[in-house]
Amino acid sequence: MATQHKADVVIVGSGVAGGLVAHQMAMAGKSVLILEAGPRYPRGDIVERFRNQTDKMDFMKPYPSTPYAPHPEPSSGDYLIQKGEHPYDAQYIRAVGGTTWHWAASSWRFLPNDFKLKALYGVGRDWPIGYDELEPYYQRAEEELGVWGPSDEELGSPRSKPYPMSPLPLSYNEHTVKTRLNENGFYVVTEPVARNSRPYDERPTCCGNNNCMPICPIGAMYNGIFHVEKAERAGAKVIDKAVVYRIEAGEDRRIKAVHYKTPDGTSVRVEGKYFVIAANGIETPKLMLMSDVGNSSGMVGRNLMDHPGTGVSFFASENLWPGRGPQEMTSIVGWRDGDFRSEYAGKKLHHSNLSRTDQMTSRILKQDDRLILGNALDADIRDKAARYVQVDSFHELLPHPENFIRPSATEKDALGLPKPEFHYAIDDYVKRSAVHTREAYGRIAQLMGGTEVEYHDNFANNQHICGTVLMGDNPSNSVVDGDCRTHDHDNMFIASSGTMPTVGTVNCTLTIAALSLRIADTLKREV
Amino acid sequence: MRTSLVFAMASSLGLLATQSALAAESADSNSMSRGAYIARTADCTACHTTDESKPFAGGLAMPTPMGDIYSTNITPDKSTGIGNYSLEDFTRVLREGVDKGGDHLYPAMPYTAYTKMSDSDIKALYDYFMNEVKPVNAPNQESDIPWPLSMRWPLMAWNWMFLDKGVYQADEQKSDAWNRGAYLVQGATHCSTCHTPRGLAMQEKGTDETEKGFLSGADLGGWHAFNITNDKAAGLGSWSDEDIVQYLKTGSVKGKAQAAGPMGEAVEHSFRFMSDSDLHAIATYLRSVPAVDDGKTMETSRFTQGEPVAVDMVVRGQDPEKAMDSSPGAELFMGNCATCHAADGSGSPDGYYPSLYHNSVVGTTHLDNLTRVILEGVHRENNHGELFMPAFGESLTDEQVATLVNFLTSTFGNPEATTTAEAVGKLRSKD
Repeated sequence: MATQHKADVVIVGSGVAGGLVAHQMAMAGKSVLILEAGPRYPRGDIVERFRNQTDKMDFMKPYPSTPYAPHPEPSSGDYLIQKGEHPYDAQYIRAVGGTTWHWAASSWRFLPNDFKLKALYGVGRDWPIGYDELEPYYQRAEEELGVWGPSDEELGSPRSKPYPMSPLPLSYNEHTVKTRLNENGFYVVTEPVARNSRPYDERPTCCGNNNCMPICPIGAMYNGIFHVEKAERAGAKVIDKAVVYRIEAGEDRRIKAVHYKTPDGTSVRVEGKYFVIAANGIETPKLMLMSDVGNSSGMVGRNLMDHPGTGVSFFASENLWPGRGPQEMTSIVGWRDGDFRSEYAGKKLHHSNLSRTDQMTSRILKQDDRLILGNALDADIRDKAARYVQVDSFHELLPHPENFIRPSATEKDALGLPKPEFHYAIDDYVKRSAVHTREAYGRIAQLMGGTEVEYHDNFANNQHICGTVLMGDNPSNSVVDGDCRTHDHDNMFIASSGTMPTVGTVNCTLTIAALSLRIADTLKREV
Repeated sequence: MRTSLVFAMASSLGLLATQSALAAESADSNSMSRGAYIARTADCTACHTTDESKPFAGGLAMPTPMGDIYSTNITPDKSTGIGNYSLEDFTRVLREGVDKGGDHLYPAMPYTAYTKMSDSDIKALYDYFMNEVKPVNAPNQESDIPWPLSMRWPLMAWNWMFLDKGVYQADEQKSDAWNRGAYLVQGATHCSTCHTPRGLAMQEKGTDETEKGFLSGADLGGWHAFNITNDKAAGLGSWSDEDIVQYLKTGSVKGKAQAAGPMGEAVEHSFRFMSDSDLHAIATYLRSVPAVDDGKTMETSRFTQGEPVAVDMVVRGQDPEKAMDSSPGAELFMGNCATCHAADGSGSPDGYYPSLYHNSVVGTTHLDNLTRVILEGVHRENNHGELFMPAFGESLTDEQVATLVNFLTSTFGNPEATTTAEAVGKLRSKD
């Protein structure tokens, strides 16, 4: 097959990781080619799909799955094959710009102790790099993405410079709950998020549409698409609808090419000097296993992690009016670290600021014991939507080789490529922690005068796909080294949450961004 | 230092009856020197600063039909700037458009306006550039105009024909405020450079209110500088003095107009630093500029066209892909504009997001400004913070921008105004 494209750096995947690497390398004057499996979605179209959809909580609905690059669809999909004890209900977007099209933009740094879980607490794994090595990249990532964060609250991750932006004022809902909890022994802080509180990087200020998920309608919240577009302006080329299905290694163990299929099934070969696989923590190991590359350790696809989540909801005894401003601005961070981590999982809790008007409406209409109409219905919706409180959590699942993703041997998509198959279970480390979390929920409900308290003990998936191509010093039990270079192939790097050997207690995007900028620095020295 | 400084004009200009009319005043609560204030009124920075860290070092490319010309280094650097200029040399540049070497400047330098500045203002400006501006070593760039068109001697003839040399002469019949306004508008603030139509030789058709056409609106560099004469329909006749002052100070008058493009820059770099009394003086003078209509009687001015229309009702509840086919303009509006400007085009109550009806650029027949704002966005500072609208040039095609502009004018503005993808493409190339 003839080679149809060549570039210094070939990047598979155009999310925040691929976009950042592409932008850096294009700025450095290198030829950069990004291959993206999915299509391009104009923001205006996404916004209008969201506005016309009936179920506003289906965050995948505005991003239609395609036959050639299918992605999870919670309401109708059959793309993810679940074989484990617990379903791994990931939601990710295969489109130019990737999954940060719909996120809450939480941009946390890990804690220094998160990098040495094994050394300090005897569980999980240690990272081959420490917080100090990543700190400058965290700072750069915050500047690239445009992160606001508090300057007067201790978040536990030492900083070399202030946050690029200060936060918008908290909503009444969040201010009230934060104050009440902090007065009663909780540790609630304003959350760092990649969202503009002033015009930044030619993007506008957040005006509080309260639909960060599934789409910020004005681009005030950071999305990966912005670095893809910046990379293109700097000279990078993006080919969309290019489904990479094979990584080709040469006899010298260097990667020579990748192969992609177009939607009609035509195969195209792409040569490069260096390859960066940035296709998320599921499609990346799937592609590597399909290609039989990088897996001398046998760890590719294994150690699948996430932040199993539980939650609580209730009606407060006072009106809080959630829904003004962004969907989430505060977090409860008192249990991110401590000696308890040798026994049960560290965690972060967060208080929702989603407008609940539509959910309260359907909840009231579903009540079969009474029929209310007109003004009484309006009043009931107003009352419930104003008093609804929901708090959710992330628990730190440990890396276990028996939690894994692999290409299905039987289930294929329209191009004949295997679907991802999951074998996943929640460990006792998380379950023990969830018992403690439930107690905290009860206390929160009590402090807010909560009634109709409901606990959500379902260990919901939080889309933080870690561990599947994890980093380590030892090539026999890890996939990449501390620079995110594959142990097996000198010219292949992985930019993905999959490289993270532990999942920590916070959203992983800022760490993905920091690791990606670090990869770009390594590449600039070599390419 | 915070005292409001009022300077009497130099006694050498004693022939003028109303001394106070020409007195420069520093911006309230601002400690800038008189010369710095005059540099603000003349907006020297608009053309002479390209890099914020090197003020007045020049290098801005200005397209002309013959090729690009570049603004020069006017820092006091002795080898590349104006460090060797005497006050006389400096005065000659402003009054006659002739540099120290005897070369004629291209009239992109608004010396036909600056010529009206008083000796004392020019002296203060000279002192400012010599003493307060940091010297920057940055060689001037030759123009891209090919020989023989690059020969500058014909400019002498141009000047002989069109340059009305001489300091502003006050009109004793008028008030101090009027004279101060006239002095600023005709001179330092050089409104006429953009707002007065030009003749065949690129000369302005009029340099003061006595000449027909003065400030009656013109197209320049892909933007339309509107008619700001006192005509009630075509000009500013329907505005109050306060409206004009607020516009110059903030770039925005709710329900009427917002500044973007070159006028946005003029507000950002110049007018917002000017004192209230100077802005009022400008308003007083503008109201006296004889009305020039636009050749047809408009029922309503460009400020009063349109009304709220609930566009979401057109597309809501439909399959969006189908709605995009059946009502593409409405879908483009809803998906890209309505989040900030509201689904009925009413903007935000505080006017930060302007309404699209009762909006100068949607209500006019000159669609360049609306089109370019969509393509390039808006990003400027005012005295209260930053104003920002994202650029849509990369995410929308020429066809889509044309569809959107036509939807906006037909829904919220002047339905007679239409554009085409070709026209959008031409404006795009002016980025």
